[in-house]
Amino acid sequence: MTNKVFRGLFLCAVVGALLFRFVRLDVRPMHHDEANQAVKFGDLLERGEYRFDPLDHHGPTLYYLTLPAARAAGARSLAGLGEATLRAVPALLGAGLLLLFLLFSGGLAKEAILAAAALAAVSPALTYYSRFYIQETLLVFFLAALLGSGWRYAKRRSLAWAISAGVSAGLMAATKETSLILFAGLAAAFGMLSLVESVRTRTRGVVTAGDAWVWRDTRTKLPPLFHFALFLAAAAATAALFYTSFFQNPQGLADAGRAIGASFTRAGHPGVHAHPWYYYFQILAYSRTAGGPVWSEAFLLFLAAAGGIAALGHDAGRDGSPRFLRFILFFTGVTAAAYSLIPYKTPWNLLPFYLGLVILAGNGAALLLRISRFKLVKVLALAVLVPGFADLALQNRRASIERPADPANPYVYAQTSPDFLRLVEAVERAAAAPEKKDLLIKVIAPPEETWPLPWYLRTFGRVGYWTSPGPALAFTGAGEPAVIISSAAFADEVGAALGDGYDQAFYGLRPEVVLSLFTRRPR
Amino acid sequence: MTKRFCWIAIAAFGLAALAPAAAAQDAGKEILKIALPKPMFVGTPKNIRTPNLETITGKPRGPFMVPVGTALLSLGKPVASSDKEPVIGEIAFVTDGKKSGEDGYYVELGPMLQWVQVDLGKPHELQAIVAWHYHSQARVYRDVVVQVSDDKDFISGVTTVFNNDHDNTAGLGAGKDKEYIETFDGKLFDLKGVKARYVRLYSGGNTSNDMNHYVEVEVYGLPAK
Repeated sequence: MTNKVFRGLFLCAVVGALLFRFVRLDVRPMHHDEANQAVKFGDLLERGEYRFDPLDHHGPTLYYLTLPAARAAGARSLAGLGEATLRAVPALLGAGLLLLFLLFSGGLAKEAILAAAALAAVSPALTYYSRFYIQETLLVFFLAALLGSGWRYAKRRSLAWAISAGVSAGLMAATKETSLILFAGLAAAFGMLSLVESVRTRTRGVVTAGDAWVWRDTRTKLPPLFHFALFLAAAAATAALFYTSFFQNPQGLADAGRAIGASFTRAGHPGVHAHPWYYYFQILAYSRTAGGPVWSEAFLLFLAAAGGIAALGHDAGRDGSPRFLRFILFFTGVTAAAYSLIPYKTPWNLLPFYLGLVILAGNGAALLLRISRFKLVKVLALAVLVPGFADLALQNRRASIERPADPANPYVYAQTSPDFLRLVEAVERAAAAPEKKDLLIKVIAPPEETWPLPWYLRTFGRVGYWTSPGPALAFTGAGEPAVIISSAAFADEVGAALGDGYDQAFYGLRPEVVLSLFTRRPR
Repeated sequence: MTKRFCWIAIAAFGLAALAPAAAAQDAGKEILKIALPKPMFVGTPKNIRTPNLETITGKPRGPFMVPVGTALLSLGKPVASSDKEPVIGEIAFVTDGKKSGEDGYYVELGPMLQWVQVDLGKPHELQAIVAWHYHSQARVYRDVVVQVSDDKDFISGVTTVFNNDHDNTAGLGAGKDKEYIETFDGKLFDLKGVKARYVRLYSGGNTSNDMNHYVEVEVYGLPAK
């Protein structure tokens, strides 16, 4: 493949990734978690306040990276923000991920880089969560940056790449505390690779220089201590910068340590997020509900398996490195096993090892194309690959644009129902009351039935949140509420207390969760 | 003249500047700023994809008294629908006597306003309808209208026995009945002995999606002699 063809096709993949990630970014109602993050970001935007919360919300990078996006959109307050502005941050990094694949050159063959980029562009899982205002896509982006920088360092031994790898690792740590699993996975993969290499060296007597799959001897040596120290210093400084809110909150560092403990507790006590060990692979392999379409990324899994097996068999193409691929294979295997064994599971947690699957699948696709010199075989391989890529693209569109809130969609998890937007419309209609946006709104619901209301009610001046009807109904100091939104469990009690002056209607918040809306009748 | 004008201007400016403060002082009051409770942050809520037969709210339905001899009239009776090709299931599920909430027991009709109609064969004195739209999940069906008639096209002699379409979305007239959450014990509509051969139930989507569902519709009444 000529460089010109490579550049053209790679550009197509990037444009495709941008389109998939940015078109109709606001089509899905805000998820409970997204609204949490958005309101937290509102404090930073409006008052410049951010303090790391060790119990929830994960790391600070998401909020700080949203600041430029909000300012570019001209927003100075939470009320001035829209869903698309917030989601543009992970969407941009989700598309930017493809550019990081270029750092893998020499590790991945040119065709494999191209195939991996195309797979990442059309991937339903990567795209769906790139359009989701949570930390996961950022974590994957920084992980890819660490892998890429690490690989460049391994090839060049340059100080700049050591620092780049350190900054990437620091950004990972400042994004999500689960990055510890990934660091452990990287270390384990490095250990496994060394073990395999040493066994091979012993059986063969020497490491054969000159073979395509072997680095030169100097490059197999451990990095100089100075480089390693710089890597660690860059990582620590980057993480500290974010966790201390750029030195405004030194306590943030200690809190970051506490967050790791909280994370372990959550992993061991998964509560409503306990799922079987095969949960992630079930999502990827096959999913279907009555009357609904089939969802499957089995094609990608098949290519990843082919690419992984090829790596074990030293096949990485003319300009690839089996050692790099074996490292990715070990890392993917170890992290997939770790994430699968942790009982606490949410579908977006699969993304870090999914990145490994995409890289291996890129090698698998390239393998199919280089398996034979005969044109007929290549045409047959393309006849398998093109429909596979097209199917992923169609599923991607279905998952992210057509059915982004459908519970049958395997990437949908505790998602706000589109019906909830009707409740918001009804509240907006009520705002035509004399008080307009200053009307008093009472929300009476437990916290898990409250979100994403704070996001959707952000433009209203007087909104109070109570978790039980008693104190809410007793609170009369602010006047008569124009709107009351209550959990279905409290609807009878609230309705009886309000009397006949209010209209009542029900709206779906999520599957199984219904909210009751009481609006004051005009007098 | 100029000097006098200047003094007048200064006085007017001073008064204008002091006016709001004076007004506030005169009234001796200010707006009471009451801090309202903020929302509590909480982690990812539970994801629900599996059927759950538990009710969210509501109390068990009390006994409903009917005349002696009242029987189930609708079992196995023919059913018609506004949606000739249901998305899931078959129209006949509506009167097949199976009320399970699982997949395979309900018929899914398309979005917007849809109806199902049960033909009881001949006019009966009707006492009650119990309808289960979909009870494996707490949800509310919108614009539920229940009518009975002897006219299979529901043009003449139509009696509306329930209507919670408060804004007349369905175009059948605004109703004052309340919306309700679907539960496994179904919704009972009191027919008060009205005589009719056909029973028609309308709905216009629900709080989970825009589709319309029926697990079962049971019509109780005194068998015609």
